[in-house]
Amino acid sequence: MKQIPNDEKAVVIIGSGAGGGTLAYELTKAGIPCVVLEAGPFLKNEDYRNNEWEAFQQMAWLDPRTTSGSWRVATDFPTLPAWIVKAVGGTTTHWSGATPRFKDYEFKARTTYGDIAGATLLDWPITLEEMAPYYDKAEMAMGSTHRHGRPALPANNNYKVFANGAERVGYKLYATGPYATNAEPYDGRPASIQDGFNFQGDKNKSKWSTLVREIPRALETGLLDLRPESHVVRITHDASGKVDAVVYADKDGNLHQQAARIVCVAGNSIETPRLLLLSESNRFPKGLANSSDQVGRNYMRHMTGSVYARFDKPVHMYRGETMAGIIADEAANKPERGFVGGYYMETLSLGPSFLAAFADPGAWGPEFAEIMEAYANTAGMWIVGEDMPQATNRVTLSETVRDKWGLAAPNVHFDDHANDVAMRNYAYEHAQALYKAVGAIDSHRTPPYPSTHNLGTCRMSARAEDGVVDKWGRAHDVPNLFISDGSVMTTGAAANPTLTIVALAIRQAEHLARELKAGNI
Amino acid sequence: METTKRRLLIGSATATLMASTFAKIAFAKLPLDLGGDSDAKKTLVRMIRVMFPHKKFADAPYERTADAVFRAAGKTPAETIAFLTSLRELQESGFMKLDDKAAYASLKKIETTPFFKLVKGTTVTTLYDDPEVWAALGYEGPSFEKGGYIKRGFNDLDWLPEPRIEEYAGAGQ
Repeated sequence: MKQIPNDEKAVVIIGSGAGGGTLAYELTKAGIPCVVLEAGPFLKNEDYRNNEWEAFQQMAWLDPRTTSGSWRVATDFPTLPAWIVKAVGGTTTHWSGATPRFKDYEFKARTTYGDIAGATLLDWPITLEEMAPYYDKAEMAMGSTHRHGRPALPANNNYKVFANGAERVGYKLYATGPYATNAEPYDGRPASIQDGFNFQGDKNKSKWSTLVREIPRALETGLLDLRPESHVVRITHDASGKVDAVVYADKDGNLHQQAARIVCVAGNSIETPRLLLLSESNRFPKGLANSSDQVGRNYMRHMTGSVYARFDKPVHMYRGETMAGIIADEAANKPERGFVGGYYMETLSLGPSFLAAFADPGAWGPEFAEIMEAYANTAGMWIVGEDMPQATNRVTLSETVRDKWGLAAPNVHFDDHANDVAMRNYAYEHAQALYKAVGAIDSHRTPPYPSTHNLGTCRMSARAEDGVVDKWGRAHDVPNLFISDGSVMTTGAAANPTLTIVALAIRQAEHLARELKAGNI
Repeated sequence: METTKRRLLIGSATATLMASTFAKIAFAKLPLDLGGDSDAKKTLVRMIRVMFPHKKFADAPYERTADAVFRAAGKTPAETIAFLTSLRELQESGFMKLDDKAAYASLKKIETTPFFKLVKGTTVTTLYDDPEVWAALGYEGPSFEKGGYIKRGFNDLDWLPEPRIEEYAGAGQ
């Protein structure tokens, strides 16, 4: 592996997930050496465990975090606002695989939805048209089924219930994808063996992640200096206000400094703003790149929820690809439903260990036992839709809690917007109706889990005062600082965000390579 | 080894807390014997079964869960004493003699206590994480080593028609 000297001004990427991992590959492929600093260890596919709690302990980001606000997660899981990964490959090692694109109107949320009280809606400074070629590239990289000649995954048991229910209530836009797991061998990786483990990491390598594709390929270029267990504690800047180095702690807590020509932050929407806030200085007293006071604000987590339905016959929902089932009929803006924006329905399965923890957190007694007792006859789906950005939904630094390096832990404050609540209730109702149409004895509503989709907090804006970065992900305040993850999302759209994060990273890499070659950065 | 360690902790806690408000408790009567056949363990096992009643689960997973609760309760001497005091109160309330319905009602009254929450929280993450329970519920556990479910029933549901897997090709899309 390439070793870039600490005093050589390098392109430094913080994080190796959907954004950072993709950026590292695209830049090294273009001949640009990169240092990637990853806070977590270099887990390999063979290290993963087919066991929910063991995998959670192995992969999840469990550093101290706090929560506030009226969301139920703050009560049930006060130290776990998000369920994301701390390891090489980031949360792409844990995601399910659904890859819908954002829709045209979702890039123009403010214009489309109008002025929604309490929401800080804004149009993206880019359009679907500009994104389309990068969506193509991302889908090809990730091997999305139903796209670019990639075949559909077969119907698993959970999908059979889901799709039949969809048909019976009159939905049309259902399918087993698009989904970034191989139905047949593709891109050097095998077809899915339908082992049912996704959130726990895919031992079979059929699911796309930057761990199986971008990171190894970037290493093969000989231009990537990958440093796992390197937790960045501060980005520093020179007298002119340009960033000049990144300071990180190794696994033993020893500090190292890597000189930087460009810094790209891709730590997911909680760690990214946290790092900027921690990097405050006399020049940037509110935090790096935060003259707009927008860093950490407009945290979005998608309107989510789940419905589990019980039948009098076996389903065995856990067998097979977890989320290879998508209904898009409700993913449209139809304000007559009582809310703006849309949502998807997607198959979902948890094992008994996690279903017990998440089905109805805090519940006990005969009714809860009945839910668990029906496990083998249960089908499940997730609802996931656009939530409203709000200035007060926000990542800040804790006044009291510190991580093991002594750094202020992030606090995640979240209140549902009335639009989120209306959409969730509507979606629950329609999900339950779908299962009823296909013979469910009963069904129950599961509240949102700790967030897997973490968005916003460093949003992209045309005007500097409205956000943190420009249309390329470049900080409005700092010309050689870039944000390269889902933090840049101006609004959240309804779709699962990974495809869009990858598409944005490919686009950003192209821009960076062009600017670097032109000597503009 | 672990039991010995816990006894030591309890011993030191006793000394520390003698002068505190806990001093009024008759320590000799605390259910310090948490072993296999102890009344304390039987009470806790019953409590867990009433909280999460599954006729098809054998006693063993409930007993393993009770052991996990004891471990979780024994992190500090103060926590241990508080836990044991609550458990003793439950024992002395005649809990073991109540029928399931009355036992449920008596637990409902204490569901906001730290004692109850500790038992509940530990049980949710332990009882349902037990391979014997998985088997009873019809969950098959780790599957990769068995080749996944591609040839073991991922699509064996036969009480519904085979659905379309391709995207909708009709008009209006």
